[in-house]
Amino acid sequence: MQMDNTGKIEVMIQCSHVEKTFFTRMTSTPVIRDLDLKVRKNEFVVLFGPGQCGKTTVLNVMAGLETATSGTVTVNGKEVSTPGPDRGFVYQTTALFPWYTVMQNVEYGPRARGMSKKERREKAQYYIDLVGLQGFEDKFPNQLSGGMQQRVGIARAYCNEPSVLFMDEPFGHLDAQTRYLMQEEIIRIWEKEKRTVVFVTNNIEEAVYLADRVVVLTNCPTSVKKEYQIDLPRPRNYTDDRFLELRTEIQSIVDKTL
Amino acid sequence: MMRKILKNEWTVKIGSAVIALAAFCMLWQAVTVFTGMGDFLPGPAETFAEFFRRFVKPYGKAVLPMHMWSSLRRILIGYTVASAVAIVLGIVMGTYRIADAIVMPLFNIIRPIPPVAWIPLAILWFGIGDASKYFLVFLATFLSVLQNAYAGARSADPVLVGAARMLGANDGFIFRTITLPCAVPYIFSGLQNGLTAAWGQVVASEMIRSSAGVGWIIIRGMDNNDILQELVGILTIGIIGFILAASMRGVEAKLCRWTTRGK
Repeated sequence: MQMDNTGKIEVMIQCSHVEKTFFTRMTSTPVIRDLDLKVRKNEFVVLFGPGQCGKTTVLNVMAGLETATSGTVTVNGKEVSTPGPDRGFVYQTTALFPWYTVMQNVEYGPRARGMSKKERREKAQYYIDLVGLQGFEDKFPNQLSGGMQQRVGIARAYCNEPSVLFMDEPFGHLDAQTRYLMQEEIIRIWEKEKRTVVFVTNNIEEAVYLADRVVVLTNCPTSVKKEYQIDLPRPRNYTDDRFLELRTEIQSIVDKTL
Repeated sequence: MMRKILKNEWTVKIGSAVIALAAFCMLWQAVTVFTGMGDFLPGPAETFAEFFRRFVKPYGKAVLPMHMWSSLRRILIGYTVASAVAIVLGIVMGTYRIADAIVMPLFNIIRPIPPVAWIPLAILWFGIGDASKYFLVFLATFLSVLQNAYAGARSADPVLVGAARMLGANDGFIFRTITLPCAVPYIFSGLQNGLTAAWGQVVASEMIRSSAGVGWIIIRGMDNNDILQELVGILTIGIIGFILAASMRGVEAKLCRWTTRGK
């Protein structure tokens, strides 16, 4: 657990009484109800909940892609209301820029913020190497496999050196084998370059494999149902007794939906 | 062996094109020889020979390449100016709601009018010279390119825009790096349609009033009851139109490598 020099736990993300309601002309749909959540610095938190429960909306509100109807979100002490480069986002489907090469995608953030070409190339190259894509710098996204595209997405988010990373079911569209591989990879990358990560998934195995802490969300309108500290050492084993025990326990309290 | 040749995409493409053209010419020849159509339809050999002969032997005051140039110049000027204006205006309309609200109603009234309907007025306003042709080509191109540039500017994927914002991009940077690239394939399809429309428009306006150009060749052929001349005019239109469209596709393939390149 990360402490600052006064010995207190350093909170990186804090959600207080967050509510989100979507309005149309005739209807209002509450999606988040009174959600409180704290994430420590460099903690890997997985938001886990039933399908359509509003996990993605929680993530979008934390990232600033959507604004909360009421309540506050702070990241690193600053209140979040708009998207910004101090937060990185890895998307469900790869939201890569199809007209840019791998290198141009990864260096996009630094370029947008006006970093010199030499400097940002160097930085981008470091993260391309980190995610294992050396040799693919000049490929376009449509020339890469799904797993490789997600690696680009991760490198692109990392390259801006944000203090927190939000990941919205980034492996949801991958086949099972690639998914296992990417779960190992994301832990390898994260252990090398520690960041605060909030990772959304509806896959219980993925949640227990990745998380320092699994936050189980209720059905829509969603809020925190229960939290589990995952005390297993890494690298974890999917068939380990304790792993299966945690998996069964968490699965048993998740709300059922159709 | 045969299979290996068929595997090469270009061999297949060019091979089938040659076969199709040859079959068409044979059919054409058969019609002229074996039916009563012969009097009204010179054969392919005769037509192609005449086409090349006209590179030195003038129609009226000018040889065939000069007529081609007359038509092409009208297109290039009217088309280039119209494309430039339409792309800028289309993108502005797609980006700013107020520009959209002002221009769209006007555009919706003008768009359904076939550009040829403007020919008499164009002659009245701009005379029978090149100016009226520039105007007519401008109009035909403009309508087609504007609509596509507009659609293109509005096609920017909101997820990509969100991703760019998340990475720290401001509005201007997003416009340059997201909105414009998203619009490019649309703009090219507008430019391609615009080229067809412009080409049709220049021929139509030359057929009504002009002293040179491929449209003029055809109409003069009709006046002189010279079927061969009409056919050469038509053949010329086909060849130039094909070359223009192909070069446009070449430019597009270069600029839009990311959409055309496979895995």
